[in-house]
Amino acid sequence: MTPHRPDAGLTAWICAALLLCAAGAGVPHAKAQQVSVDDAAQAYRQIRIEVDYAPAETIAGFEIWYAGQAFESTGEAELHSTIRVADTSALARGPEDVLFDRCWSDGLPIHRDAAGSPVADPDASNWSCALSGMTPGAEQWIAVVPVGADGAPLVDTESLQPVVGRTEVPDERTPPPDTRPVLYALSLVVLSTVALLLFLRRQDARQGRSKSRLAHVYVAPALIALATLTFYPILYGIWLAFTNADQSRLGDEAWIGLANFATVFAGPGVWRVTLFTFVWAVSNVLAHVALGLALAVALDRRGLRGRMVYRTILLLPWAIPGYISVLAWNGMLQPDGLVNGLLGTAIDFFDGAGSARTVVILVNIWLGAPFMMMVFSGALQALPSSMYEVAEIDGVSRWNQFRHLTLPNLKGTLVPVSLLGFIWTFNSFNTIYLLTRGNPYSGFGEPGATDTLITHVFAVAFEYGQYGVAAAWSVLIFLVLIGFSWAYLKRTRAMEAVA
Amino acid sequence: MNGNTHNSTDGGQGSATLAERWYVPVEIRALRVWLPFAALVNLLILAGEALRGNGAEQLGVLGAIVLLLILRASLPDGRQRWRRYAGQGLAAAILVLGLLSLLRRDATFYDLWATSWLFAPSALALYWMSAGLSGSWCAGAQDAGAAELGLARNRTLAPRFEAFALHTFLIHAVALVVAPVIWIVDVSISPGNILGGAIFDAFTLEHFRAVLGGEAFWLWTRNSLVVALGTTLVGLLLAIPAGYAFSRYQFAGRKGAMFVFMLIQMFPGIIILVPYFMVMKTLGLLNTSLGLIVAYSVTALPLCVWMLKGFFDAVPRALEEAALLDGCNRVEVFFFVVLPLSLPAVAITALFSFLTAWNEFLLALVFNTSNDAYTLPVGLASMIPATGQLWGDFAAASIVVSIPVVILFVLFQQSLIQGMSSGAVKG
Repeated sequence: MTPHRPDAGLTAWICAALLLCAAGAGVPHAKAQQVSVDDAAQAYRQIRIEVDYAPAETIAGFEIWYAGQAFESTGEAELHSTIRVADTSALARGPEDVLFDRCWSDGLPIHRDAAGSPVADPDASNWSCALSGMTPGAEQWIAVVPVGADGAPLVDTESLQPVVGRTEVPDERTPPPDTRPVLYALSLVVLSTVALLLFLRRQDARQGRSKSRLAHVYVAPALIALATLTFYPILYGIWLAFTNADQSRLGDEAWIGLANFATVFAGPGVWRVTLFTFVWAVSNVLAHVALGLALAVALDRRGLRGRMVYRTILLLPWAIPGYISVLAWNGMLQPDGLVNGLLGTAIDFFDGAGSARTVVILVNIWLGAPFMMMVFSGALQALPSSMYEVAEIDGVSRWNQFRHLTLPNLKGTLVPVSLLGFIWTFNSFNTIYLLTRGNPYSGFGEPGATDTLITHVFAVAFEYGQYGVAAAWSVLIFLVLIGFSWAYLKRTRAMEAVA
Repeated sequence: MNGNTHNSTDGGQGSATLAERWYVPVEIRALRVWLPFAALVNLLILAGEALRGNGAEQLGVLGAIVLLLILRASLPDGRQRWRRYAGQGLAAAILVLGLLSLLRRDATFYDLWATSWLFAPSALALYWMSAGLSGSWCAGAQDAGAAELGLARNRTLAPRFEAFALHTFLIHAVALVVAPVIWIVDVSISPGNILGGAIFDAFTLEHFRAVLGGEAFWLWTRNSLVVALGTTLVGLLLAIPAGYAFSRYQFAGRKGAMFVFMLIQMFPGIIILVPYFMVMKTLGLLNTSLGLIVAYSVTALPLCVWMLKGFFDAVPRALEEAALLDGCNRVEVFFFVVLPLSLPAVAITALFSFLTAWNEFLLALVFNTSNDAYTLPVGLASMIPATGQLWGDFAAASIVVSIPVVILFVLFQQSLIQGMSSGAVKG
C-alpha cells in the first residue's frame, strides 16, 4: 500500500537535493546549489536530504527526482515531490506529522499553502525533506531541479548529477499478530447465534409446532456464517470508527471517541463527494431505465426480424466481465485511443473534472442498460398481446399505447427495479476505480473529482491507510443505505412475501 | 392513425372529402417525427464538434439544426403550394450544408456518420416532396380518389417505416455495444500496444503467445478456479438447507431471518471491507484462496438463499407428503425427492455463485497483495498500471477469459436475470 495515488501527476510533496543552478537563460549563479544526504537522520523507508542554494528571483520551485539507479536525465527518474517558492508571510507552518512530504525550513516544519502543499520562502537559502517510500538497504539516486515560473527547468535536465543515499532501517518483521481476541470474538458470536437458535426452537416447541423441529438446524449453518462474517465485521467496523486504527496499528487500536467523524466532516470535499455520489447514482439509474425500456420495447415489437441476434448482441455488456469492459473503455478513451481516432482528436477525457465525470457516468450507463433491458423484456412478454391488438383496432397511436398501456402495466417492475438499480449503482466500485481511480486528483486525503463515497472510502483505507477514518465513513454510508434499503423493501412488498 | 375516430364523429360528410381531409402521406408523417429527431442527433454532433474545437463546423451544424426545425414547422399540408416550395428549398439548403462540411476535410468514418444525419433526412425530404404520390399531394394536386388509395397505401407502408426506424435504433445500439469488443480483438492481434489506428490492419499472435505461454496467466486462472469452485461448494452447502427451511417450515424467527438476508445483500462490500481486512490479516488469511472463499460464499449467501427458496417453493408439496406417507423421513424426503426435482435450479444457483466469484474484483484486490495470489480480475487489471501498460497482452487475456463466461451468460440469461432481480421483480 504505497501512499502515492499512483497516476496522479502530483505536485504535492517536497524535499530537497541539489544541483548546479546554472540557469538555462544564461544567468549563472555564483553559488552552486548543494544537496547533501543526512545519513544521521535514519528512518524507516526515508532518506533525509538537505538543500542549500543561492536564492534567486528566477526560482519558482524545486522538483525532486529519484530513481533506483544512477541517472542523468529526468526521463529515467521519477518525480518524488515538488516544492513551491512563494511569499510565506501569510502561510502557516504545517504540521510535522504529515505522512509523505515531511519538510523543514529553518529547523521548523515548512510552510504550507491552502492545498497543503509545501512552500519555501523566496529569501530562504535552504530546506530539507525526508523522502518517503525509499527501499531499505538499497541505494537511491536523488536530484533536485529548480524550475522557473513557467515550470521549465532552470538547469539542463539531461546531465544531472544525482546524490546517492540509502536508509539502513530494515523492513520490520512485525511479530505475528495476536489472534486470540479475534478468535474469542468469533466464538462469542457463534455461541450467541447458537443460543438464539436454541431459544427460538424452545419457543416453537412450547407452541407445539412439532413439524418445524429440524428447521432451526437447517438454517443454523447459514446463520452462523452470516453472523461471523457479516454481523461481526459490521460491529467490529463500528468499533473501529471510534478508534485510531491505521496501517501501523493492528489489534492495539485505542478509543478516540468521535475524532474520526470530526475528520470526515471537517475534511475538504465531503459534501462534494456526497453530491457526486448522488448525481452518479441518479443519472445512471435514469439512463439505465430509459435506455433499457426503449430497447426492450423495440425488441418486443411483433415480427421484428433478427430479434434473437439483436438481443444476444445487446446482452454483451452484461455478459462480459465488468472489469474487462471498463478497462477496454479506459483504453479506448485514451488520447491515442479509438474514440479520439474516430473523432480525429487527441482529447484526454480523464483530464478535466467535468469530462472525467461525464465519461465515468457514460461508461457505467453502457454497462448497466442491458440488465434493465432484460428485466423489462421479461415483464413486457408477460403483458397480454390482445391488449395491444384491441388498441391497434381502436387506432391508438404507438406513443399512446406505450404511455397508457405499457407504462402503467410495467410500474410494478419499474419502481422496485429502479430502487434496486439505485442501490447497486450507489455501491458500485469497479467502473470508477478502473477508469480514473477517483482522479483528477484534488489534494492529499481529499476525494478526487470522480470519487464516489465508495471509492473514496477505499482510498482512505487502502491508499492512505487510515482505517479508523475509513470505518467512520463506512458507518455513515451504512446509515444512508439502511434508509434506502428500508424504502426499497417497503416498496417491493418483500415483507409481505416473507409473511 | 386517428382517422377512424374522426370518421365516426364527422358522420355528416361524404367519405371522399373525409379521406381527402385526413389523408397525409406516410412519408410526410415520417418526416414530422424524423426531422426533430435528426435535429436532436445533430445537437449531439454539435457537442462533438465543440470537443474538436471546430468553429466553422459548429456554425454549420447549428445552422442545419435551425433549418431542420424550420423545415419541420413548414412541412407541406397538402393545400398550400408555397409550403412545398419552401420545404424543397430548405431541404436543398441542408443538403448543401452537409455537402460543404464533408468537402471541407478528409472525412473520417465518424464524419460520414455525422453528415449522414444531414444527408439522409434532407435528401429523402426533397425526394418525397417532389416526386411520387407524396410529391403530388404536397403540390395540392390530388383528388379524393387518390386520397383513398393513399390511405390504403399508408396502411401497408407505415409498418415498414416503423420497422426501418426500429432497425436504425437497434443498429446504433449494437454498434455502441460491439465497439469495445471489436477494439479488444483488434488490440489483441495488433503488434505492440497501439490503442487507436486502423482496425484489423495487422495481424500477430504475439500477445496470445505471451499470455498463454507465460506462467502468471495460468497461476491466476488456477487461483480463480479454486476460489470460484470453493465458493460454489461452500455457498451451496450453506444455502440449500436454509433455502429449504425458509420454503417449507414455519418457525420462530423465520420472518426476521429472511428480512436480514434481504437487507444484507443491499450493503456494499466496502462497509465491511476494512474490518474484514483486519480480521483476515490477523488470522493470516490474506493472500490465500481460503480467505476469499470464506468471504465470497458469505457475501453471495443471501441471494443464493433467496433464489433457492423461490425454486423450492415451486416443487409441489404433495410429492413430499406422499413420500412421508411411504415411510421416508424428512431428511430422506429432502435428498431423494426435493433435491432431484430442483436440481436444475440448484445448478443455476451454483452457476450464479461461480460467476460472481469468478468476476469479483474489489475483495480480491484488497485481500491479495502478492502477485502469486491474484485472481484473474486483479491479475488482468494489474496489466494496466499507471505506466508500462501492456494493452496487447491484456486484450488477449481478456478474450480468453471472457469467451466461456459470455457463453454461460448468454445460455442461461433468463434464469440468471431472474435470480439477480429476485425479490425485486417477484416481490
